[in-house]
Amino acid sequence: MKTFRIGGVHPNDSKISRNCAIEVLPLPQTVYISMAQHLGAPAKPVVAVGDRVKTGQVIAEPGGFISAFVHSSVTGTVKSIGPRKDLAGNNMTHVEILVEPDEWAEGIDLSDTLVTEIPSDRQFILDRIKNNGVVGLGGATFPAHVKLNPPPGKTAECLILNGAECEPYLTSDNRIMIEQSSRIIIGAAIMKQVLGGCRTVIGIEENKPEAIKAMSDALAELGKCGAAYSGIEVMVLKKKYPQGGEKQLIDAVMGRQVKSMGLPIDVGAVVQNVATSLAVYDAVQKNMPLITNTMTVTGNCLPADRQHNYLFRIGFPLSFVAEQAGGVPQEVSKIISGGPMMGKAVANLDACTVKGSSSLLYMTAEQTVRKQETNCIRCAKCADACPMGLEPFLLNKLARNGMYDALEENGVHDCIECGCCLYTCPANIPLLDTIRLAKGDVIKIIRSRAPKK
Amino acid sequence: MNKLIVSPSPHIHSKTSTSSLMRDVVIAMLPAVLVSVLFYGWAELEVLLVSVVSCVGLEYLITRFMLKRPNTICDWSAAVTGVLLALNVPSTCPWWIIFTGAVIAIGVAKLTFGGLGQNLFNPAITARVFLLISFPTQMTAWSAPKAGLSLSQVISHAWTGTDFGPDAFTGATPLGLAKEGGSVHMDYLNSLFFNIGGSVGEISALALILGFAYLLVRRVIRPHITLSIWATVIIFSGIFWLINPDKFTDPVFNMLTGGMLLGSIFMATDYVTSPMSPKGGIVFGVGIGLLTMIIRYFGSYPEGMSFSILIMNATVPLLNGWFKSKKFGRA
Repeated sequence: MKTFRIGGVHPNDSKISRNCAIEVLPLPQTVYISMAQHLGAPAKPVVAVGDRVKTGQVIAEPGGFISAFVHSSVTGTVKSIGPRKDLAGNNMTHVEILVEPDEWAEGIDLSDTLVTEIPSDRQFILDRIKNNGVVGLGGATFPAHVKLNPPPGKTAECLILNGAECEPYLTSDNRIMIEQSSRIIIGAAIMKQVLGGCRTVIGIEENKPEAIKAMSDALAELGKCGAAYSGIEVMVLKKKYPQGGEKQLIDAVMGRQVKSMGLPIDVGAVVQNVATSLAVYDAVQKNMPLITNTMTVTGNCLPADRQHNYLFRIGFPLSFVAEQAGGVPQEVSKIISGGPMMGKAVANLDACTVKGSSSLLYMTAEQTVRKQETNCIRCAKCADACPMGLEPFLLNKLARNGMYDALEENGVHDCIECGCCLYTCPANIPLLDTIRLAKGDVIKIIRSRAPKK
Repeated sequence: MNKLIVSPSPHIHSKTSTSSLMRDVVIAMLPAVLVSVLFYGWAELEVLLVSVVSCVGLEYLITRFMLKRPNTICDWSAAVTGVLLALNVPSTCPWWIIFTGAVIAIGVAKLTFGGLGQNLFNPAITARVFLLISFPTQMTAWSAPKAGLSLSQVISHAWTGTDFGPDAFTGATPLGLAKEGGSVHMDYLNSLFFNIGGSVGEISALALILGFAYLLVRRVIRPHITLSIWATVIIFSGIFWLINPDKFTDPVFNMLTGGMLLGSIFMATDYVTSPMSPKGGIVFGVGIGLLTMIIRYFGSYPEGMSFSILIMNATVPLLNGWFKSKKFGRA
């Protein structure tokens, strides 16, 4: 079974909600749609207060090359456009819409029919992906059309669909692979076509047997629909965190390592999450903008019947989602948006869902409160765990002393912030905290040194 | 709902802690401890008690009253040093020598450098070498069961003091005899289980290897250091033994005698005083193996394990700079 070659850890996968079918969330009374739904420049609103918007209508345009369209997730009247706190508590422009019953924007195919025929015009596909605001849903929310359009001179040799879902607790990818397998595979075939018909691998961790079966079955079925579906394979990957890290996944599938500061396309790889593939299907085959996604509401403190996988729309207050799931239990001390290894702690439950939202994960104090830091015992467990082959113990010391030359020499900028070092440290040293700060500084230094284009 | 905690990722932690790792090391030493108690009786229990109580007690007293720092005895590292020290002295060793060893180990080698994680030299090895040089007579007064005695005779001597004649227990170890040019006849198969003279932790190869297996299974240590020591010793002594079997002892003898197993499994692998990377660990191990064999064959001491570990401890900062783990995506 394939896996990445360096480091990694084995946290308990805690996929408690793995068997909970996706439920559609009802609409709240008001939605707040953030202009920062993606990596890169925030989008610029193109609606004004008092405007009436339809579901799926564009409400904001890209604010730069790396940016994306934002669409209204509901029908209603724009009540305000202004700053509102995101989940970390930082201000970001949001469009507030008072919700009315759905009325869909023109040109969107709302039927359930599976469209298996893939458009041949590459530009048409890219435009649909761009105009429907599709971004990577694996965590980074990088605009999908940019990644699917490699710069001149670079060719994609392998499209990797990321269904690893290596973060503990998260089960939304698992559920869509089980429930929406055909749409995901058609989405993959579309991206494969855009990239020039390269080899396509759907990587799934071994702990999701139902998803592996559903995807393999759907692939066999779609294989009858023409040549567009040949050259696509499902690959079972070892359960090891961070198997779904972009660089790790490429290493596992292709046996190639992206160079320091390099991009996946440098080694001929393009990686997209399975949820992105689903969004690509909707965007290209149905002209449906990206306004929904799947998220998990889970935690060890929730009873089995209160674990959920929800289909949400963007702009739902997290407090509304939590209420729909039966409220936040008394003993919860931390709520995480994302997985426990790389997710963000929610500072503000009034923040709203965005395209890349993947979970509300409830943690008790006992599960999550950090223990007192003690002396480094030089066990090197952090170095063994680091999937980038770095030496976190050393980087931590250098970071605490502000030794930037040595930090760069020791590759701090290669850190992917996966958290393996801090997870594994027996002395509870906040390795990633110090390394993350130093990494930011060192990357700034490297960028300032590069000749301006 | 309580007030929400906000902190950077990751939000979960493995259950491994310094104390769980150190506790595992103590557990791994238990087979060797049990065997030594079985063969050396009450005297050995006393050695263990004095050593562990002195080490843990000193760690507590020094951190509490001299350094005025948080108490660190709960991390089990002082207990590890205590058990190791006990396994490193003869069962006949007087209590005050063991206590002196504890002062050197905990007080000098460990806490003067800043406590666990900061020491350059392994505390137990430092104490052993200090005692060996300062109290050579007491430290080499082995009570080794002589070939010919049955297992039950040895045990009954240990626990009840039954006398089996004046020559039943020799004062010299096989390594010591070999050094003096005496002929040594060892029953290797037997010596796997017991019968190897030396400090108490060195009598049963099997018990030590069992501890090694436990440390590997529990992923407490990597095998690199230990295995590279063994490989070096076997190859080095193999070559010399093939050239002149009359002058040089054979590889199996060298593996099973002295502190070879105890040192390579429990002392050379000490986290704090060994290199961070597997590559560094291999170089470190080869260094220990070579130095040990050079001392054994050409030095004036019969045993070189402790000296070589101590010498190689000093090279660790250099090795850490020279041998780094392979980074992702770099040639």
